[in-house]
Amino acid sequence: MNKRANAIFGGLLVATACVFAYLIPFIFLKAPIAQIQAGGLAQKIFYFHVPAAYAMYLCGTVCFGASALYLYGPSDARDAWARAGAECACAFGSMVLLSGPLWARKAWGVYWTWDPRLTTTLLSVLVYVSVVVLRAFAGNGDAERKFAAALGVLGTVNLPIIHYSVLKWGGNHPTVIGQGGGGLRHPAMIQALMIGFVAMTLLAALLLWLRARLALSASRLLRIEERAIASGQLDYD
Amino acid sequence: MHVNQEKPASSNPSDRSTEFVAVQGGGDTTSASSLLVAAYVGMWALLLLFIFLSYRRQARVEGRISELEKALDKSR
Repeated sequence: MNKRANAIFGGLLVATACVFAYLIPFIFLKAPIAQIQAGGLAQKIFYFHVPAAYAMYLCGTVCFGASALYLYGPSDARDAWARAGAECACAFGSMVLLSGPLWARKAWGVYWTWDPRLTTTLLSVLVYVSVVVLRAFAGNGDAERKFAAALGVLGTVNLPIIHYSVLKWGGNHPTVIGQGGGGLRHPAMIQALMIGFVAMTLLAALLLWLRARLALSASRLLRIEERAIASGQLDYD
Repeated sequence: MHVNQEKPASSNPSDRSTEFVAVQGGGDTTSASSLLVAAYVGMWALLLLFIFLSYRRQARVEGRISELEKALDKSR
């Protein structure tokens, strides 16, 4: 990585740390409690749960774009970004699937229900998990990469279905923001959510960059090994 | 439906419970604050696990680079 990229990465890291350092006390100390019937405090999960879902969409979109480009014209960089997108979508999707049920336990009385939005989210995360497992264990050949890229494209097609599932099929999941929802009724609540979106965007960018760089390094190493073996300089046995 | 009143707790060993009977309309024993803490701790734990896995993968790549260097040195 060159000096300029190092500086940008360092700046991104500091900005992410600062935004999280501001966000966490803000959520606990300034954002008012809401949804009294669900215990009041449990609603504060919302300020991480929704931005984490948004970060999952963001990483899924990166996975989709890079996968589609890889299918169009394969390259190590496109494969690395597709892989990083799927891995980060898995991480953020797991955060959503962990925080949501804990909130649901208080709001609905159960950890899980086969609500359309919950089911489609689970399905999407499982598709990204399958991409990650495939790339980790099925080898590094062109066929495996193309198959994973096709799965990455299909996984992201599910994302708009998650988003509009509440409108189309109803269910228990709240629709507070947009889509006819009543919105957040306190300025501090809106502020907490907006800072949450900024924090998760920065975190997603950081993690995507790290994982893509790692995948690219592994690909470059593989190419060097292949070249060294082909030229007879290397004999691993 | 079998509904029963539970007896008050007693310090006498002979009065200890010998069976558990389901009651209707019991209060919710899960507190909102413990769920909130569990959600935040769980999310940070997941994030740290992801960073740790990245670190391990980086270490594997570095290990392969060292092996490659050694193998190339030997072949010279």
